[in-house]
Amino acid sequence: MKMLMCSKLSNRLIGSGLRLIVRVATLSLLFSFSAHAQENTNSKPQPDADNPSIKRPLATELPAPANQPDTPEKKPGFVRSVIDRFRNNDLPGDLQIHGFVTQAYIATSDNNVFGGSDNGGSFGLTEAGLNASIRPLPRLQLSAQVLSRRAGAGNSGTPRLDYAVLDYRLYSQETNQLGIRVGRIKNPFGFYNETRDVAFTRPSILLPQSIYFDRTRNLGLSSDSVQLYSDTAVFDWGTLSTQFGVSLPIVNDKDTESSLLGGVRPGKLEREVGYIGRGIFETNDKRLRLGVSGIWLNTSYDPNHRLGDPIGPGALRFTPVIFSAQYNAERWTLTSEYAIRPFKYNNNFRVPALNGLDFIGESYYFQGEYRFTPKIEGILRYDALFIDRSDRDGSRWAAQNPARHGLEHSRFARDITVGLRWNVTPEFMLRAEFHHVNGTGWLSRLDNPVAKDTEENWNLYGIQASYRF
Amino acid sequence: MDTGVRAESPYEIVTNPGVDEKTLTVNSLRSIFSMRLKTWPDGTKIRVFVLSDDDELHQIFSKEKLNVFPYQLRSTWDRLVFSGTGQAPTKVNSNEEMLAKISSTPGAIGYLWKANINENVNVLEIK
Repeated sequence: MKMLMCSKLSNRLIGSGLRLIVRVATLSLLFSFSAHAQENTNSKPQPDADNPSIKRPLATELPAPANQPDTPEKKPGFVRSVIDRFRNNDLPGDLQIHGFVTQAYIATSDNNVFGGSDNGGSFGLTEAGLNASIRPLPRLQLSAQVLSRRAGAGNSGTPRLDYAVLDYRLYSQETNQLGIRVGRIKNPFGFYNETRDVAFTRPSILLPQSIYFDRTRNLGLSSDSVQLYSDTAVFDWGTLSTQFGVSLPIVNDKDTESSLLGGVRPGKLEREVGYIGRGIFETNDKRLRLGVSGIWLNTSYDPNHRLGDPIGPGALRFTPVIFSAQYNAERWTLTSEYAIRPFKYNNNFRVPALNGLDFIGESYYFQGEYRFTPKIEGILRYDALFIDRSDRDGSRWAAQNPARHGLEHSRFARDITVGLRWNVTPEFMLRAEFHHVNGTGWLSRLDNPVAKDTEENWNLYGIQASYRF
Repeated sequence: MDTGVRAESPYEIVTNPGVDEKTLTVNSLRSIFSMRLKTWPDGTKIRVFVLSDDDELHQIFSKEKLNVFPYQLRSTWDRLVFSGTGQAPTKVNSNEEMLAKISSTPGAIGYLWKANINENVNVLEIK
């Protein structure tokens, strides 16, 4: 715990340095939008793409190829053409723009998820993102994404800077790569964390909450960091991709505070230097993927004494390790992840509910996806969460305080999920899913402020539409 | 190097004529289409072009040349694009557009039905 305290000063320095880099990265991106007309990064002679002597004969004079399917040419619509214009590689710097918009409708039998879902359902989950990336030099990439998420009391939809990264490739040789990233970087842990807000990359509307908690998502999502990454060929079997970062977590939101401190407090959580690392081995045919991720997260509480804060300046450490495995066949994909999540609170919180807390959480899920056709996919998943693995039914926790009686179910959650996904086009997707949940371990406290009102056994129904480009 | 088999293949991996490489290992090809390998040996940018995920040539190319399913390529690219750690290949809407892009874009690599190939692109040999 002493270490936690000592690192505060260095935090300030690293913090301001990173903020500067994030700002520079964002500015250069904006700059590239306005200045691409003058830029010319290609030294090789570039034939004019509009030169009719090259382009015209191809479309009109070539005989129809024998092996080509004689399906009619797809006529891109207006939106498509506009997007294609922007994504055209002829733009200097190889500017790319991508984005997505997702809307879900969620209803629950009891308990609230993303707003008033218990009250006849709600359209409370809206996700939208827009990102841009450029390669001003062959080895340099700048990218940034702005994200808006409206989800219950914890996320209002205010756009925020999700990532802003400067990526420089230090070494590159066929299948071996080494590079460095600086800025606000998505936290690499598990299979889904970095793209958890993009419906197309998720297996379901709700990710397995045991590992991808939505209530502490801002903490887990991205952090201001410096990261080294590498890809290494492992014999002729596959590629090992590793990432290691030194980072400052983002702890300044109410959902995180409420989850870590048992309620919204008058003071605030301070950022402390942490570490994050992940290695994923992927076979050459991408069928088997095996990963290990680890986080070393520190934060301390800065009480607000003027508001009569009952809590003292305590510090806590969270050090989860996640093991991930996936097998991909043509029609089906099996995925499983297991996380062990140790929490350690020091003795300066001055309240018995937090002081000296020392417990280990455990989470895991098994998931099967089946592609009936390339357009229709089904999913089946069992997901389990235990806040304290030595007290799986919450009975010991409840016995510590009479007020906790009847709330044992807030210490675990077992979720059975069944869902269906329809890829209408590569850009548009519809999805429906059903959850039966035993336990309230991952419910947001902001959406369910009165613990006594929560129900142990409940169902969730969701539908979702998502568009991407 | 089995030219007999290559002659039967109805499509080829093609590059812009400015690309010096004449042959490529299958691992390098996979690395390029996974968007991990971003530069040619001479240090210039690799620019990857693909057809739509549901295009027949794209599907044949993915399965035969890379030995991966198209949905796996899509997941790989999505992870890069939406995590800010890479870029996706540029999608073209037709074989004609593929030919036009490959012949006019420095460092470009893609694939074409043999019947669509002309002297404005180089054919790569995959070892």
